[in-house]
Amino acid sequence: MHDLGGMHGFGRVLVEEDEPVFHAPWEGRVWRLSGTVLRATTIDRFRYTIEQMPPAEYLAASYYERWLWAIERLAAEQGLLDGSDRPARIGRPSPPIPTWAGRFARGDRVRVANPVTTGHTRVPRYLRRHVGRVERVACAWPNPGESAATGAHGEPELVYTVAFDAAELFGPTADHTVTADLCESDLEEP
Amino acid sequence: MSDETPARTPAERAEILERHLHDHGHVHHDDVDAAVAAAEAAADDGPSPALGARVVARAWADADFRHRLLTDPVATIGEYQLQTVPIAVLENTASVHNVVVCTLCSCYPSGLLGNPPTWYKSFEYRSRVVREPRAVLAEFGVDVDPDVELRVHDSTAEQRYLVLPLRPAGTEDWDERRLAGLVTRNSMIGTGLALPP
Repeated sequence: MHDLGGMHGFGRVLVEEDEPVFHAPWEGRVWRLSGTVLRATTIDRFRYTIEQMPPAEYLAASYYERWLWAIERLAAEQGLLDGSDRPARIGRPSPPIPTWAGRFARGDRVRVANPVTTGHTRVPRYLRRHVGRVERVACAWPNPGESAATGAHGEPELVYTVAFDAAELFGPTADHTVTADLCESDLEEP
Repeated sequence: MSDETPARTPAERAEILERHLHDHGHVHHDDVDAAVAAAEAAADDGPSPALGARVVARAWADADFRHRLLTDPVATIGEYQLQTVPIAVLENTASVHNVVVCTLCSCYPSGLLGNPPTWYKSFEYRSRVVREPRAVLAEFGVDVDPDVELRVHDSTAEQRYLVLPLRPAGTEDWDERRLAGLVTRNSMIGTGLALPP
């Protein structure tokens, strides 16, 4: 349910003036406990776990309820609820800024792959199969699908900032540009 | 544990989870108390909109800093707050307006601005701003001229984005401290402009 970009049916964005950091004490505690639980896994495994929420529950839950749903499961998965054994803290991916050249260069036209998967992907549905142009290399980062599946960071791959004409995505009345940061393995020759 | 009936409230579930983690030595209640208090206090020298405003104001006032911020943002923002993920700075100009979203979850430059506001994480913002940004920005009171290129940045990877808003006219002789007072959180996300003097 998480993949919301471009969906119809949602109304006006409601803005709460001077909102507190947390709206209830339990939200702050869930935020901090998430840090404890996520020490031994990847942010993509956390995202992937939230993505397992049944869609109706996802839509009915508040933001930190979704976090709570995920860290309850990740804490159990890591055995944190059964004993004091602590899985090892995972390392940060390195380097975040690439030191090597990639398959694509600035200005190249690229087509977004259509990664139909039951696993985790960071390719939004609204960009799949569309053609954009590479603006620059954004960063280097381990593949999100692998990080989600294994709970650990593999070798980094290049991530490109790719720009799309919104008219290509959403029809001729759209006059803006959308950019997204996409893994090299999710991009093809057009 | 969450699937039992009658359904427990989130507060009850959070308490149970914290008690388990505490009892098995994975976290201490005092550490949770302290972290929540620190996040709520949002000190000016930690990640917060106020810290972001200081960075933006300096970029307005100091051309060398602005150049470094745009060309080496991780290290330059790191002079204020260590950035543990890549961050890019999007410069608004007379012809380009930038706005940031995460359609897949809630990716946000928390390492500089602190936790995101609720509207940023809302289904409404996440679904609509990539498709109809002018309409969404109008709801925020921002009317982008049709001649201005509107660029919506979907934070789909680990790179985070900071918008460098336009410096308001009439502030030419203002110092950084005064300028920082014009920089709103929304202006650094792109759903607002810097305040007029």
